[in-house]
Amino acid sequence: MTGPHLARRAPLLALAVVALFTGLWGGLVRLGLQVDTGGVSVAEAHGPLMALGFLGTLISLERAVALGRAWAYCAPPAAAIGALLALGDAPAGLGPALLLFAGVVLVAAHVAIDRQVRSLHNAIVGLGAVTWCAAAVWWLAGADIARFAPLLAAFLVLTIVGERLELARMGGLAAGLPRLWLGAAVGALLAGLALSLPAPRLGVQVAGAGLLAQALWLARHDIARRTVRARGITRFMAVALLAGYAWLAIAGVLWIAGDATQGGGFGYDASLHAVFLGFVFSMVFAHAPVIVPAVLRVPLPYRPRFYAHLALLHASLALRLVGGGLSGDVAAWRWGGVLGEVAILLFLASSAHAVLHARRTRSRAPRSVAGAVRRRPPMSGRTDHVPDRAVR
Amino acid sequence: VSHDPRHDAPTDAPAAQEQVPGGTLGRLAAPLTPELVRTLLYEVIDPELGVNIVDLGLVYDLAVTDDGVVRIAMTLTTPGCPLGGFLEDEIRECLTQLPRVRDVSVQLVWEPPWGPERMSDVARAQLGWNR
Repeated sequence: MTGPHLARRAPLLALAVVALFTGLWGGLVRLGLQVDTGGVSVAEAHGPLMALGFLGTLISLERAVALGRAWAYCAPPAAAIGALLALGDAPAGLGPALLLFAGVVLVAAHVAIDRQVRSLHNAIVGLGAVTWCAAAVWWLAGADIARFAPLLAAFLVLTIVGERLELARMGGLAAGLPRLWLGAAVGALLAGLALSLPAPRLGVQVAGAGLLAQALWLARHDIARRTVRARGITRFMAVALLAGYAWLAIAGVLWIAGDATQGGGFGYDASLHAVFLGFVFSMVFAHAPVIVPAVLRVPLPYRPRFYAHLALLHASLALRLVGGGLSGDVAAWRWGGVLGEVAILLFLASSAHAVLHARRTRSRAPRSVAGAVRRRPPMSGRTDHVPDRAVR
Repeated sequence: VSHDPRHDAPTDAPAAQEQVPGGTLGRLAAPLTPELVRTLLYEVIDPELGVNIVDLGLVYDLAVTDDGVVRIAMTLTTPGCPLGGFLEDEIRECLTQLPRVRDVSVQLVWEPPWGPERMSDVARAQLGWNR
């Protein structure tokens, strides 16, 4: 089963990684490092490369795997190639047009999922895909990237919040006030983004209130508050999630302060990276040990060393925002940015090593009855401990 | 073909592994039955929640044929969840270690839709429903 899935999906993941590396390269330029740009607008396209070229490709691939329809697999390559085309000499608008196409396919995937089982959480995730499309339309219309950067953030926030709402049901989420609260928070985010078209500053401030309200909702109702008491991979995921919620709240405050609309400067940098790095990448780190096996059908065993790249991500972002943005120390800001990129590279290296090591170990280990004997029996079958096979 | 009679009542299942005397060795020697398969499925854990798929109420039906084929009908908490393949691999790896299992077939179904009422009391307690 593993081979065909790996062969078909790994190239799509590779495209996402190319977009990621290019985006990181652009990030270094934006941090003011003297790196060769190769004559392409790598710094200008940093945001779309990271948010849509990398994360958009991953998310649309994840959704295509869930849906299991061939047409849904059009979105991931279109997202990655669209973001990469925005760099070079391709005809103007081709990159954003491909990104719009990918976003529309993702919306269609959510419509198809909704037809299978209708739910509020899927609707919220689907609204995230709509904000992706809106960002691509703005780009096609010639808007500066700074104008639609909040839309890119909203795509990722709504995707994650919808998924967390889905999981919150397992924690006994009540039907009344909690859902109203989240609905109002999502509504404020979307209304603020719509308002930002005629009134950028006020609109983003309203959207920031929506972000803050969603962060507070997550901190209050997310299942991670309970699963953080578990062990192994379950606790690792919960720690990463809870840390991300703190950054989402900080982002909300910064958006309310009005910094997210200034195209440049520390405030703009902080208000976006609190979302993209602190919230979104923490989520990526949390879910990689589950999503990589789900998409590629190869094991990515959890290792305690994963806390290293998680800790570096959050520490570097704190340095970037507090040591840099807040105190105006350019060197601290730059170091924070570079170390953030190091955290992402460390995450990739550590994950790749875990996958390769697991494949080597698995190919050597005889799949035999003896293996079953050595396996730990379930602790009454219902435990907060994930057995070795699941943790790997 | 024998079916697990408990597939319609996912909550409050007794500690299933106690039904197979002799622990892990006992399981290997025991006849291949839906009850034995169900017992082993308690070892397949949703990593994010740390709860097994039986207590989560994801397993809707399972059957075992005389020639060692295990057929499982299960759901996910949402059709947008990509973990179907991951859990299928986990189930296959778990069950194929039994010498009498020749093949494992996992079918994802969406009717009836999963809801939290399908979780067992133990799973609810584990995820803090009573706090």
